[in-house]
Amino acid sequence: MSEISLQSSAGMPAAPLGRLLGWLGARATLATGIAIGLFIIFLGFAGPFIYQVDPYAINPSHALQGPSAGFPLGTDELGRDELALLLSGGFATLVVALPAAILAFFTGVAYGLAAGLGPSWLDRLLMRLLDAILALPSLIILIFFASLVTLDNTSLILLLGFISWPSLARLVRNETLAQRGRDFVLAAEQLGASRFYIARVHLLRVMAPILVVNGTFMVGDSIFALSALSFLGLGVQPPQVSWGSLLESGLDIIALNPWWLILPPGLLVFGALIAASLTGQGLLARYGGTR
Amino acid sequence: MIRMVATRLASSSLSIVILVTLVFFMAHLTPGGPAYSILGMKATAASVAEVNARLGLDVPLWKQYFLWWWHLAHGQLGYSYLLSRPVGSLLWQYEINTLVFYTVSIVLSTVISILLGLVQGVYFNRWPARVIGGLQLGFYALPPFFVAAMLVLWFSVGLKLFPASGITNLREANPGIGTYAAHLVLPVVTVTLLTVAALSRYFGEAVHEELGKDYVRTARAKGVSFTSILFGHVLRNALRPLVTILGLSFPYIFTGGVIVESVFNYPGLGWLMWRSALSQDYPILIAIVLLIGILTVLGNLLADLVNGLLDPRARYE
Repeated sequence: MSEISLQSSAGMPAAPLGRLLGWLGARATLATGIAIGLFIIFLGFAGPFIYQVDPYAINPSHALQGPSAGFPLGTDELGRDELALLLSGGFATLVVALPAAILAFFTGVAYGLAAGLGPSWLDRLLMRLLDAILALPSLIILIFFASLVTLDNTSLILLLGFISWPSLARLVRNETLAQRGRDFVLAAEQLGASRFYIARVHLLRVMAPILVVNGTFMVGDSIFALSALSFLGLGVQPPQVSWGSLLESGLDIIALNPWWLILPPGLLVFGALIAASLTGQGLLARYGGTR
Repeated sequence: MIRMVATRLASSSLSIVILVTLVFFMAHLTPGGPAYSILGMKATAASVAEVNARLGLDVPLWKQYFLWWWHLAHGQLGYSYLLSRPVGSLLWQYEINTLVFYTVSIVLSTVISILLGLVQGVYFNRWPARVIGGLQLGFYALPPFFVAAMLVLWFSVGLKLFPASGITNLREANPGIGTYAAHLVLPVVTVTLLTVAALSRYFGEAVHEELGKDYVRTARAKGVSFTSILFGHVLRNALRPLVTILGLSFPYIFTGGVIVESVFNYPGLGWLMWRSALSQDYPILIAIVLLIGILTVLGNLLADLVNGLLDPRARYE
């Protein structure tokens, strides 16, 4: 991240954090991560139905008030209820970031398998293309492409999904090549199994732990990337708000010290990232060793 | 050695050419186009055609593509659509600000990371290392825009210690170096916090690993003091992975920089990229993509060369 955020979001290789976290224990790490993650998903998907205040109701007489009984998290400069905006923004963030992560996951796995199992010219071609894409941090490419297209939910999902897969693809490809020479794969080949069958039945099963761990990290990356894009005005477009754009609009009037407009959206993005990170690290510590 | 550098350069250049080609065609094949972002969506067909002719966008695309390389070979990166200035000189003006910003941040981050990493490696699994480890995990997950916004809130709006935006004050005619320095503080602190969170972790791991090696045990057995082992041997060996990561992280520091520069309105390359993306100024965007691609390659190469200096074993890999 953070590239920075040297985040893995920003694509940095994941550090061997497992041992540093040893004192917390793999199980506790995993449990904490999943708990925070579930809480955030709950806020995003159930929140708007439980707290039924119209996030877009403008009320100038209550503009820019701090938290109070009437407005639990205060109001923005238009007098809109900040809590309602946050919940609506959470939904807008998750509804793009989660499908994008899933799309990126499957693209990465398919690309990696194709490169690892296909003929060698295909491998060389695919890896050359991958190197070109990996020559730049994904956020830079995202900003570039986001400037080209009309931004709506579908295009954002496609954009995020088709840009954040390369590091997973490389991992799957390398793992495929490593597994390809092993006895059980050779045996399956001798028995006449097709490549597709080998990929589905043998390789994916062997790689499952790595895939799950990386899939978890990708969810965090996707939420970070979307929030960063939205913060820059190149993500979720107004009038729909998102965590990133809420933080940005708080920053616009920062001279008025509206801490209640900046702290909550920032903490939610942080929570989502730390949930993905803890869950991934916990999974890695528990299952990563079993190849 | 020279052969290694040459192969690496050739292979990376190919990657960059592919990348620029992708980016070029994506930019020009997308509907809409710069004429509309200059004139607005309600522009008439005639005025759009006029603008396209002026910007050289009416030529067939393949011709534009080769023209771009032709101009690059002559040291020209084209003209900005909106600012009507040569991209090269524009980039250079912003590049200087970015260079100052990153040089300070990277030097500061490296020094702090080394200190933290040493503590972490020496006190591995004891409370100092655990505290540092927890902080690293927390800061690692902090989004840069959040860190930057909180710093502005505390140190600029609340305590009024440092300016929150730009590189000079509006009313100051001849800003001195102090003005520039004051404007650099918050952006540098943001980038440093986030970079240290990532870097010090690698370094701590490396120090811990080196301390467990045989040569350390041998040195201790023959009576060398722990301090001179740490600073005489371990530090140098543990620096290798740090240098590699530092080389790899150039472009990522820049990525964080796009966000940080946009928060602080710091007129660097990241800020320029952000503004150009919002206004679809492709010549600038393509040039920045090219520039970052080159910086990435050079960063990696530089890291390998420095590692060769630090450790003869790494010289002929």
